[in-house]
Amino acid sequence: MRVPRSLEVWKLGTVNYLDALKLQEKLVSDRKIRKIPDTLLSLQHQPTYTLGKRRTDHNLLIPENELKKIGAELHYTQRGGDITYHGPHQAILYPIISLRDIGCGARNYVEKLELTMIELASLYGVKACPGQKGETGVWVGDRKIGAIGVRITYGITSHGLAFNIDPDLAYFKHIVPCGIADKEVTSLSRETGFHIVSLSQILSN
Amino acid sequence: MALRLWASSTANALRISCASKTHVAPAFSLFRCFSTVLDGLKYASSHEWVKHEGSVATIGITDHAQDHLGEVVFVDLPEPGGSVGKGGSFGAVESVKATSDVNSPISGQIVEVNSKLTETPGLVNSSPYEDGWMIKIKPSSPSELESMMGSKEYTQFCEEEDAAH
Repeated sequence: MRVPRSLEVWKLGTVNYLDALKLQEKLVSDRKIRKIPDTLLSLQHQPTYTLGKRRTDHNLLIPENELKKIGAELHYTQRGGDITYHGPHQAILYPIISLRDIGCGARNYVEKLELTMIELASLYGVKACPGQKGETGVWVGDRKIGAIGVRITYGITSHGLAFNIDPDLAYFKHIVPCGIADKEVTSLSRETGFHIVSLSQILSN
Repeated sequence: MALRLWASSTANALRISCASKTHVAPAFSLFRCFSTVLDGLKYASSHEWVKHEGSVATIGITDHAQDHLGEVVFVDLPEPGGSVGKGGSFGAVESVKATSDVNSPISGQIVEVNSKLTETPGLVNSSPYEDGWMIKIKPSSPSELESMMGSKEYTQFCEEEDAAH
């Protein structure tokens, strides 16, 4: 039996990381009891470093007490993946979707998130591609433009993807992004050579 | 790649040849994405299996589940001695940057966990029903097993789920 699928999109602007985390937890439990349909959160964060379930602290290259100086927060999460950075001018999508309802596995789902970012990049003439094995995410050559970190509880997704539109890339120098050394991070602005002013327009896509 | 194509065509071929004599139950069944389903185990709709032997039930995730997860790089398991409730999460597996909770289809006390998975999480992929088992529990309500699926039902369940996708 196929149930009609609907997706509600919430555009939230800039949200504090912990507030967004709490909101996702609430939405996941609401989605589990079918109180809400599949929901997509579209937002940005203030400068924040987050670690995945494996707590790979060693990939944070700046002492924790210096984070305040650079205006960044640090949070531990239950998502998959290694350390990453979130900040202004980075598009974040947190889909709260029941994978069980659509019979979709984690691998398929993550591939779809990659594809979403590849399509977005291609709209701006940037040719991006999925990472090599073990390097999930979206890359332009050797440079990472989009990151993925997902949590699945009771078949329902939370966390999601972060796509670099025009963030301050200096923040990535304080971490080994996604635990992969010797690789650079890039943004849509850097790849296209012009500043993308209308972030909201991109997010609305 | 060639191996995958080969396996795929083999599965297709077997599927066709099996169709005319479905009453013959093989030791395992093959379906669309050629995942293995073992006879004698109980299955949950969230893709865990339970093998009940004597007073202990072993729990792991199915071949179908590991195939849909992708390469498992990290397994988070509980300490022995704790208890799990029916449908409750007891651990998590991480693959392709996604952590997925693993739920216990039955309730009971955890008597042993597969510590090999800490060093070699890939056992969940390579041997989901044997070396990749996750926890052993002492069931508190063995009757909960009765509501779980058998191998035939589970095979059908997976087929329907894949078809809906």
